[in-house]
Amino acid sequence: MSSAASRRQRFGTLLGQGFLFLVTSLSTFAVFFIFYFILKDAVPFFKEEGFREFFTSAHWYPSGHPAEFGALPIFMGTGLVTLGAIVVAVPLGIAAAVCLSDLLPFHVRQFVKPVIEVLAAIPSVAYGFFALVVFAPLLQNHGGAILSAGAWIILGPILALLVTVLGDLVLGRFSGSKKLGAVVFPTLGILAFLLIHHVARQLSGVEISSGTNALNVSVILGIMALPTVVSVSEDALQAAGRELREGSYALGATRAETIIKTIIPASISGILAAVILGVMRAIGETMVVWMASGNAARIPDPWYNMLQPVRTLTATIAGDMGEADHITGSARFHVLFAMAFCLLAFSFIMNLASEIIVRRSRKKLGK
Amino acid sequence: MRLETRKLLDKAFSGLGLIAIAVMAVALLLILAPIIWRGSKAFVFKGTIEHRRVMLEQFGRGNAEKYRAEAAEVAAARAPVYQMLNDFESEMKGMERSERRAYKKPFREVEKGIKVLLGPIPGERMPVLLRQQYGQTRWDRTLVKLHEVLYSEEWDYSNPEAMGVLVEKPRIDLFKGTKLEPLFPYLEDHIEEMMRPKQTFYWQFITDTSKDSHIFGGIWPEVLGTLYLTLGAMLFAIPMGVVAAIYLCEYAKEGRVVSFLRICISTLAGVPSIVFGLFGLAFFLNTIHVSDSKSVLAGSLTLSLLILPTIIRSSEEAILAVPRTYKEAALGLGAGRWHTIMSVILPASLPGILTGIVISMGRAAGETAPIIFTAAVSVGAPLKIWETLSQPTPALPWNIYNLCTEHEAVDEIRHVQYGMVFTLVAIVLLLNLAAILMRARISKKLRG
Repeated sequence: MSSAASRRQRFGTLLGQGFLFLVTSLSTFAVFFIFYFILKDAVPFFKEEGFREFFTSAHWYPSGHPAEFGALPIFMGTGLVTLGAIVVAVPLGIAAAVCLSDLLPFHVRQFVKPVIEVLAAIPSVAYGFFALVVFAPLLQNHGGAILSAGAWIILGPILALLVTVLGDLVLGRFSGSKKLGAVVFPTLGILAFLLIHHVARQLSGVEISSGTNALNVSVILGIMALPTVVSVSEDALQAAGRELREGSYALGATRAETIIKTIIPASISGILAAVILGVMRAIGETMVVWMASGNAARIPDPWYNMLQPVRTLTATIAGDMGEADHITGSARFHVLFAMAFCLLAFSFIMNLASEIIVRRSRKKLGK
Repeated sequence: MRLETRKLLDKAFSGLGLIAIAVMAVALLLILAPIIWRGSKAFVFKGTIEHRRVMLEQFGRGNAEKYRAEAAEVAAARAPVYQMLNDFESEMKGMERSERRAYKKPFREVEKGIKVLLGPIPGERMPVLLRQQYGQTRWDRTLVKLHEVLYSEEWDYSNPEAMGVLVEKPRIDLFKGTKLEPLFPYLEDHIEEMMRPKQTFYWQFITDTSKDSHIFGGIWPEVLGTLYLTLGAMLFAIPMGVVAAIYLCEYAKEGRVVSFLRICISTLAGVPSIVFGLFGLAFFLNTIHVSDSKSVLAGSLTLSLLILPTIIRSSEEAILAVPRTYKEAALGLGAGRWHTIMSVILPASLPGILTGIVISMGRAAGETAPIIFTAAVSVGAPLKIWETLSQPTPALPWNIYNLCTEHEAVDEIRHVQYGMVFTLVAIVLLLNLAAILMRARISKKLRG
């Protein structure tokens, strides 16, 4: 081959690579475009109205005269709903992930995986529709019954575990005979039963005045965040490796002890990343909260009251943009961009955190 | 701890895990069951004579002869109703003024209820609104409306402590001893002859345009809009995503730049979907003006950004899964790098790339938030392909939201809402099923 042709070929290769790099960076620089354009429209709001009212005032009257832009209730609503979603998604998700990675045999796992995939695939508007049309009327009409059933489902397993552990402790202290066990376990069991029964009775008297409230949204968001939590934390649990498990078994630990004392601590950072990703899913979700949260921009009373309607950042953006002036850009228009910027900044930080955590855990496990 | 307790705890622990899985499966079932069950009723239901009339007059479908014969029988069954209404009206004219006034309002309510139930009264002027030109097209709605004619609803606030209670009062009590009294039992007994419910399979629900904002007809504009948006998004996202994946896997040397690029991609994946919507509005519409108003083009561009990270990641995975030996063999035969990629690596990783593409298609089809400000309108005709560059479109996800929150007759069109959700979920799940099957075949191939 002549040197000219070879040079031409090298030049061609370089050009091709340059083109590939350009396309790649174009798609990644989209992130900067998003940051820039959201910030560009958010800055006028902060310039005009300042930070103080936006973050500390509880008065949200964007169409009033004078307009008030206290977004505190909206931030609170987002936080409350996300907190509820975490409470639903994290215990369930981690338990399911443990079950998938360590407990279920391979052929059963193959039937469970599609369940998670379908849960992840269902469009958010379908979840929102379910929350608004099916779940909200149910909550409104049979709120007490649903709450007490929920109490049974949540408290039942927890107290059953507690009874076993406590009973064991008591027996251990008195170097227990079989007879003592026959007394201790039933007593504790009945006490636990009475406790749950009491709580459920209390809850069944609750009347929910509106089915579109924080509880409804939290449950649905929790279900939506489940697939993320399950699949990411299952990956983390799998990554802990066979050797750790076998070492633990060899020391005489049962499966539960192996998982709780060895596997979960070893993969805790991956699980943390899973939780963070689940939180991001819940915070960024729009349709469900817009349709089923009630959209009332005031702080629930007391602040943890899940049975009152709330309003979130995403729902405010989606709902108010139709009324805000698109073209000239009033403060009402820019405040939505300010909210979007808060969302964006938060998700960026969370994302970075999860990325760092995952990277560090990989290094720790030597992979 | 004692050994028995440890064993017990071990079992309890497994039980907890199984409960978690069971709760997940039950949640999925509880969510899908009403959507599938009631959604299928948009397609398969008992249609009344009015449904066949809508089909014939609005869509030119069905046998006109047969309809006319049936309509004649139905008219005969309905004639006594109109007769009784007429009789009562003339009876009212002979009444004392005060008595007449007392009857007037309840009578108007009954008359209106009958119009809603059976359609306009023959011989009267045709109403302008399409929904008033026909009676109830579905048997389930017919029964609801019949109940409304037979009973009036009143809120009872007599107990100041409790919330108001809804009380139903039979309307027949109001007309005791008048010529309208026999109307109510007649309606109740002869409703089947007057409406002729018949099992109907209305598969055209997907391909019919909607009439009078979804009171009649199907959801074609929405389905088509969703197709346009999804395919448009793929048009932009696939080339960019696959090229980026090729670069990241085959050309880029691991280093600062690449890890920076990767962080950018994962950040893009984490951006909330509503922020994509705002960005689409601020950039595509307000800054570079891809179109004058919302348009399918702007929506597709926004959606393509949203699914880009998914496509890049899944394509990367697929390319990395190609055995090294393939590449080494090709390079050993003297093929260049680009040649190797095009003729060996891409074909081998194509099924994997396609799987990722199909999954992100499902995602694009179901996303609502990014298209609210960039592409979606509530009412619109199906678009021609060139109109997508400048026109907004109705789309399934947006119209589901719109119909169940902002429509003026939310309860009347529950079946349309469920039908839309069912269609959307079916589209998305079918795409995912295809992806799952494809993945199963790939893993079989790689193993075998």
